Parts: sequence; structure tokens; C-alpha cells
Amino acid sequence: MFSYYLRLAFKSIRRNPILSALMVAAIALGIGSSMTTITVNYLMSANPIPEKSDVLYHVQVDSWDPHNAFNDDDIPNQLTWTEATNLMAANKAMRQTAMAKTGGIIEPSDQDVKPFEASARLAFGDFFSMFNVPFLFGSSWDAEADQNRSQVIVLTKRINEQVFGGVNSVGETLSMFGTNFRVVGVLDDWQPMPKFYDVNNGAFDESEEVFIPFFLKEELELPNWGNTNCWKSPEGEGFKAFLRSECINFQMWVELPTQNDKAEYLDFLNSYVSEQKDLGRFPRPIQNRLSNVMEWMEDQEVVADDAQIMLWLSLMFLLVCLLNTIGLLLAKFTGKAAEIGLRRAVGASKGDLFFQHLVETALIGLLGGVFGLLLALVGLEGIKSLYGEFVRDLAALDFTMVLVGLVLALVSSIAAGLYPTWRACNIAPASQLKSQ
Amino acid sequence: MLEIGPIFRALMRNKVGAILIAIQIAITMTIIVNAVFIIYERSQKMQRESGIDEANSFYLSSAGFAESFNAKVSIKEDLAALRQLPGVANAIQINAIPISGGGWSMGLQTQAGAEYDGVGVAVYMVDEHGVDTLDLEIIAGENFSPSDIGWRETAQRLWPDKIIITKSMAEALFPDDPFETAVGKTVFINDTEPMVITGIIDKLQAPWVGWDRVENAMLSPENLNYESTRYFIRAEPGQRDSVMKNVEEFLAESNTGRIIRSMRSIEETRERSYRGDSAMIKILTTVMIILTVVTALGIVGLASFSVNRRKKQIGTRRALGASQGAILRYFMLENFLISSVGVFLGAALTVGLNVLLVNQFDLDPIDWFYIPIGMVILWIVGQLAVFGPAKKAANIAPAIATRTV
Amino acid sequence: MLKMTEIKKVFRTDLVETHALRDFNLHVDEGDFVAVTGPSGSGKTTFLNIAGLLETFEGGSYQLDGEDVSHLNDKQRSQMRNEKIGFIFQSFNLIPDLDLFDNVDVPLRYRGFNAPERRKRIEQSLDLVGLANRMKHLPSQLSGGQQQRVAIARALAGEPRFLLADEPTGNLDSKMANSVMSLLQDINDRGTTIVMVTHDQELARQAKRNIYVRDGKVSELHEVSELPDAVTA
Repeated sequence: MFSYYLRLAFKSIRRNPILSALMVAAIALGIGSSMTTITVNYLMSANPIPEKSDVLYHVQVDSWDPHNAFNDDDIPNQLTWTEATNLMAANKAMRQTAMAKTGGIIEPSDQDVKPFEASARLAFGDFFSMFNVPFLFGSSWDAEADQNRSQVIVLTKRINEQVFGGVNSVGETLSMFGTNFRVVGVLDDWQPMPKFYDVNNGAFDESEEVFIPFFLKEELELPNWGNTNCWKSPEGEGFKAFLRSECINFQMWVELPTQNDKAEYLDFLNSYVSEQKDLGRFPRPIQNRLSNVMEWMEDQEVVADDAQIMLWLSLMFLLVCLLNTIGLLLAKFTGKAAEIGLRRAVGASKGDLFFQHLVETALIGLLGGVFGLLLALVGLEGIKSLYGEFVRDLAALDFTMVLVGLVLALVSSIAAGLYPTWRACNIAPASQLKSQ
Repeated sequence: MLEIGPIFRALMRNKVGAILIAIQIAITMTIIVNAVFIIYERSQKMQRESGIDEANSFYLSSAGFAESFNAKVSIKEDLAALRQLPGVANAIQINAIPISGGGWSMGLQTQAGAEYDGVGVAVYMVDEHGVDTLDLEIIAGENFSPSDIGWRETAQRLWPDKIIITKSMAEALFPDDPFETAVGKTVFINDTEPMVITGIIDKLQAPWVGWDRVENAMLSPENLNYESTRYFIRAEPGQRDSVMKNVEEFLAESNTGRIIRSMRSIEETRERSYRGDSAMIKILTTVMIILTVVTALGIVGLASFSVNRRKKQIGTRRALGASQGAILRYFMLENFLISSVGVFLGAALTVGLNVLLVNQFDLDPIDWFYIPIGMVILWIVGQLAVFGPAKKAANIAPAIATRTV
Repeated sequence: MLKMTEIKKVFRTDLVETHALRDFNLHVDEGDFVAVTGPSGSGKTTFLNIAGLLETFEGGSYQLDGEDVSHLNDKQRSQMRNEKIGFIFQSFNLIPDLDLFDNVDVPLRYRGFNAPERRKRIEQSLDLVGLANRMKHLPSQLSGGQQQRVAIARALAGEPRFLLADEPTGNLDSKMANSVMSLLQDINDRGTTIVMVTHDQELARQAKRNIYVRDGKVSELHEVSELPDAVTA
């Protein structure tokens, strides 16, 4: 029976080619526009590390100005050097890493490769295991290297290719910041989307190009990249004074496997801040926060407002297209009143007719969905060309999105078809058999 | 001749199609009016002037890495040489580039003390050539003299004792006084450190185009003793592109202990900074056009269908004395009635969506006149869309009335 | 009232020319009741369409109420239909979305009467056909005979001099047909000229005068001398 209905549906679509084409086009446009924006929003709000996102916590403490909150009653989004180093020294979590962004010039030993500037992430050795960073060669540095401020470095695959031609460079020497580093590891491709561990310079920025131990910040007097905010000027001149000031430029993440661990860590933070208050710091009321990955993404509003506005508008667009389809289906099915009356007269039940027309609607929806996905590909290309390369990874359809698109098209077209189908099936069998 | 009554009563007996069209028109209007408003706001934002000579200016970064690299010497030599290069109008070292997205902000306050609030300001560190290179105009007070310029070390805490501020900044600091009177007044940075305002410039935007105080900027008379630094260069009119090439080659060869990178014209910087806004404008425009076409096609489709369904009725009306014009008017009027329901519903929805956007995304509330304009436009779209089918209806032969099938 | 002389009407397709009417002559005097009969395809409907100014013709002349209609444009013909002709159709042609009041109102709107005038005429003509108490009903709520009476009311509301009826009882059973027929005769008695096209000889005999159309020509004429009893009943 289903294949019979399918054949009837094809026939019916061919009989009214313009009306059918209008319906398919309407659904395709609606699906195309909404799939474009849904994809962008989906990728923007994706979980960058689903396997661990609820055990990794971003650490916040309120070290800000007694007179003004950091930002609209909210607490600072970064830490001072003092907090970053103190909390690391306390070593209260299963794994933990303070970090910051910096950068400098790499001078390859190969004279043919020109010196170039690279971004660097200052972090602790736990960074790689906490965030499941894949290694191509070698491994992370150990805790001893962290404490000894060893000049070791982990390269991304791209830098390893640029400087060492892609061979296993573990043990080689690399010159950066005017000093020598020993390569201990080379990463495989790794680009969390969003770049959750530090969203300061754009949530969809590229990951840093090299990784070095955190304390080298102080040792080599490395510059602050990323955002620096201060509420109080440093007490004294020079790099050390600036580092020990109340300026915030550091992030910290901890891995806490259970809720109990989380509660204990919060207790620890509260007692830490109380101690600091005794030392005359932390003039504001105690307010500390641990946010897991998705909470932090929410808090930092990584999904751009414009993307959300476009999503809303395109869903309204889809609604218009569906209303359009309902209208056209009504027109089409009313035009088939005589045929429906005849089918009823020769014994088709309402259910048969309902199913027959639902098949037809679904077929139109599916066609609209397929064309809509093609339009979405065009739309995503358009977004790429409008926003430039940095949205490259935010504008690609994956299998889930293709499936979502088809299901959306099918469900919405069937929903659009319900009323016209119901109306068509309620035509009395006899009414259409008279000449009028 | 107006037959609103019977048309309306006939519509009420055949609601579904009409309601579908009305809702479509309402939502279309909601989207279009809000989109036009967003487009207008964004393009206003994009049209703001930065205050600098955008067409002829560019900048680049110089990062020293060699052991032998001496920032102070290199900067002095570079600037002297750059100012001599053919086609270069003037050149300075600067800490941040207007409208580029990255920069340095501080707070200035009129009373000393941590308990007083400051006014946020973008800081540009320049020497006495800054005003000329950035193509600014001193409208009160005077420019820095060479002896005012000091060297800023990395992580230096103290500030110079003179500054030049923009007119907008002067008005923000002293809202009750004419801006000229700010010259000679003392303001405080870092809560307590005094600085005297020695000059006022007409206009200079901050690096952050999305900042609501984008006109608040100050010039600080300093060179930076940093190994990594930026040069801002203004070329003679029309010579920017050739000068950019020459400057890059010249700097790269003059000192091999540093790298030259990120050379970019201000025009390109503007394009990058406003890329999101211009993309939004293009996307919304596309959406508006497609949406209008879809809605118009929907009206054409349903109207054609309704004309076909009412062929006999139209023939009868013709037989009973309706002229072609009367039939045309009938369908135009019918569409006008449906559109009217749509646009009034649309007016309410437009305001609703705008309230939502204002609350959720901090957009501005829509100006009232957008709504009547939107209504008129949707009325016109409806009338244009229905004209074809209505014309077809008017051409139906009256003799169809006597046909029995 | 109606004077057709040597009317020609040709239907052309790509391949064939069909002469629907050739040298068609007919005079109908004021106050007459003429029945036009003939087999299918004889040209009855074409005659009706031309007489009702629904179609144009190629040759000959047609005077309606003393006016030559061959040079009128579409708009003038519409106006003439509206003012001088009342139509009654085989399938009533009521507008299904309008109630009886609005249906009768249709030609009056095109006439440009003001609202009180229209109301008066609608009420009068619906009263005449005995349906004044059903003004707010929809056509679908009425029987066939009632619907045709509404159509007659609609035709009469503009007080036309000339009534054109196309198989007015074709879709009705005999009882309803008789009541409609007697209504038409009443109307004729009040002075309205009626031309009725029908294939029903029985019905035709109830008119004052019969003409027979064959192959696009008036082939036979006979006067009806007296009215049968059934009609006056």
C-alpha cells in the first residue's frame, strides 16, 4: 500500500508542477536558512570536551575593587598572579593548572626559515592530561619541570612542521624569547571548539602554537597577551611589581571527579580568601565560584548575539515558509476534491486517504529538506565568505546536522500538511460526484 | 462602489486561507521591520568617522629579537628614516591603533581618591608628531612639544604630567562647561596621579568599535621602550600602497635583528573591525529579500487558486454587470483587507520581537515610525503580488456564467 | 426590445472554424415571453450569450432597447447588462460565501445605488419570491427551487426591462420547476420582457412565443395561442 501511495504522490506532484515546486521551494528556503543558523549556533554552543566537561571547573574568586564590582555585579573572570600561584601551591584538586597567554619570536636554527612570532600558552604539566590533548611525539613535561622552571616546550603539529619539517623533534632545541628550549612533545591536531580553556581573545580563536611551563612567565619576564584588567595600580616599578599587582591576566582550571570534591574545593577557596582578608586583601564580600565547562561557556556568552538573533529570525522565516506551504497544500488538496470524493465513494476510508495525503506531504517535505540542505551549504559558504576564515570551523555541516535538517523538514512539512489533509479527507463522498 | 462589507463577510466564511496569508504578512513584517532597524543601526555605526586619515594611513609591527637589538636606538632611527622616505607624510610610534580592536584603556577622574569614579578613556601614546600623523586638529590649547616626550618602560606605573584629550572626553569629564575650558584643568589617573590637560582635539575614536564611549580618547606624550612596537604612518594622498611596499622593504633591511609583521592599512582594519556588522547587514538584507519573495509568492499562489476556484462566480458577477475594473478592484480590495489584518497583527508582533531583542541582546528600542512605514510597505507588497491574479480574474469571460460545468 | 439581424458568430480553433450562428434573425417585442428551443449544439447557448452581451459577434447587428450594441466596449456592455438585463442561470450561480441579502446585493452594488436604496430593493425582491425571512441564510441552506428563486430575486432587484433565463428549471424537480415557471409568468405579466432558452418542449409551450434554433439559424417560429392550465395553477 505504501508504494502505491508513493506512486500516487509522485503523480500528484507531477500533475501540479508549479504548485509543487512552490511548496518544495518554500520548505527548502525555510530549511536552508534555519539550518544555516542552527549549524552556526550548534557549533558555537558545542561541548568542546564532552567526556570530561562536568569534572573540569574554572576557578573564580572576587579580588576586585571595594568600591565597584568587576562587571555589573559579577566577579572577575581571571585571577591575579598571586592567586594563580597560591592556589597551585595548595594543590587541593586531583589535577590543576593555572595558565596565561603570551608570545614571542621563534628563531629557527635552519637559516632558510625566517624568524617569526608565535603565541604561547603558559601552563602546568597537568594541562595536557586534564584536557585530553593528543600527542604525536613525546609527552607533557613533569611536575618537577614545573617547579624547576625548566626551559622545556611542547609544539603544535604546525609549528613542528614549520621549524623541524614534521619529523619527531623531541630532544631538539628551539630558540624562542631569545633563549633555548628543549622540545619534549609535539601535539597532534587539537583545536577545541569553542576554545573553552581561555575565551578572552575570542571563544573561537585558534589554540596557542607552543606550550611552556607557567613559572617561566616570571623567570623570562614574558609579556601579557590576552586581556589584562586592573583596579589598582602596581605598588612599585618594574616587571615584578606588575606581576604581583592586583591586575588579572591568569586563568585556572581544576579537575574534580565528584560533587564531594567540588564542595571541598569550594570550602578550600573560601578559607583561602578568609586568610587573604586577614592579610588585608580581598576587600569585597567572599564570593568564589567553580563553573564546569558548559556553565563557563554559558557564563561567558560564547554564542554570539548576532548568531542568536539570526537563529530566531530564521526560525520565524521557517514559520512563514510553513504557513505558505499550508496555504498551497490547502489549494492543492481542494483542487483534488473530486478525486477524493470518488475514492471515498469507491470505498477508501478516511484513514486511507489521510495516510495517502500524508505520504504526499512527507515526500514534498523530504524534497524540500534535501534542497534545503543544499541551500544550507550555500548559506554556510556565504557565512564563511562574509566573516572570513576564522569561522571556518563554525560553518560546516556534519552528519548530525544533515540528519537534523532532514528530520526538521519532514516533521515541519508533515505538521504543515496535517490540517489540509484533514480537511481534504472530510469531503463527503457524494458531494463531489454531481456535476457541480 | 466600495464593497468592503460583502467582501469581508465572504472572507469570514472562508477564513483559513485568509488567516494564513495574514499571519504570513504579520511575521514577514515583524522580521523585515526589525531587520531594517538592525541594518540601519549597524550602518550608522559603520559610518562613524574614526577621526584619522583612513584612506592614506597604515601601520605595522616591529619586534626585536636579537641580543644586540636596542629598542630606543632602533625606534629613534626608524622614525627619523621613515619621516624622510618619499611619499611618507609623517610617522609615529604608537601603542594602539584606532578601530583595530586591541588597545589600552584607563580611567580619568576630576577628583583624586579611590572612592571617586573615573571616566573610561582609550590611551594613545604618541610623540609631538602624533597630532599631524593621525591627522587630528587641535581645537583648543596646544600640541606637545619635543621636550614633553618621555620614554615609557615595560610595566611602568607612572604617567606623564600633560595630556591631550578629545572634545567628547572633555565633555564627559566636565559635562557642565564648554569643552575649551578643560584646557589647563587637572585630572587624575590611577586614582591620585595628577595630569594637566594641555590640548583638545576634535575627534579620535578608541580601538574598540563596539564600546559605547568610543569617542573618549587621550594622547599621552610618550615613546615606548618596548622591543615589540607599532609604527603608524600617514602617506601622501594617493601613495599609500607604494609607500607600504617601500616601508616594509626598508625596515626589514635596515635592521635584521627584528621582524616586521602585521602591516595593514586602516581601510583593511576598518573592514575587519566592522566585518561582523557588514556581514549581519548582508545576511539580513538577503533574508529580507527572500522572505518578501516567499510571502509574495504565497499571496500569488493562494490568490491564483482562489481565482480559479471562483471562476464561475467571477463570470456571474461579470454577467450581472461588473466591469473588468470592478473585478480587479474586488481582488485588490480583498487582499487589502487581508493585508490590513496582517499588518496590524504585524505591528504588534514587531514591537513584541523588538522588546525581546532589547531585553535579550541589548538592542536599541525601535523608532516608532518604522512601524507605519513597514505597514505601508507590506500593503504595497500585497497589492503588487495580487495584481497578477486579479488581472487574470478580470480577464475571465462573462460567458463562463452560462457554462454548466 | 431585442432586434437581431443577420448575426454571425464563428468559433475558431487552429484547425476548424465552427459557425455557431449564421444569419440569425430575431425580434422580440416589449412585454413578450419567448422560449428558445433546439437540440444540443444548435447554437442556443451562443444566442443566449450574445443576447446577454456576454459574448461579441462578428457580423450583423443587434439592437437592445433601441441601442446598437456592436460598438460598445467592455465597460459599456457591463453597464448595459447591469441596467437592462436580468440573468437567470440553470445552476443558479449564487455566490456560496454570501448570504441571500448579499447575493441579491451584487448587481445593485455595480449599479451604484446608495445603501438605503439597495436595502429597499433587496427586501422587495426577496419578498416577491417569498424568501424575505431567509435573508441571512447561505445558499447552501436552501433547496434548489429556493435557490433559483433567490437568483430570480437577484435578477429582478435592478428592475431590468429584459430577463434572460438559461434553462431556469434544468436543475429542479417538476414541482419546483412549476413554481419557478409561474413566478416567471407573473414577472412577464408585470411587463418585463423574458427570453428563455430551454431544451424542454413542455416548458417552452408555456411561453407566449416559441422559436426553434437549428444549426445556428432560427428555423421555425410559432405563436403560443393560449396558456396551459398547469401554469396558471
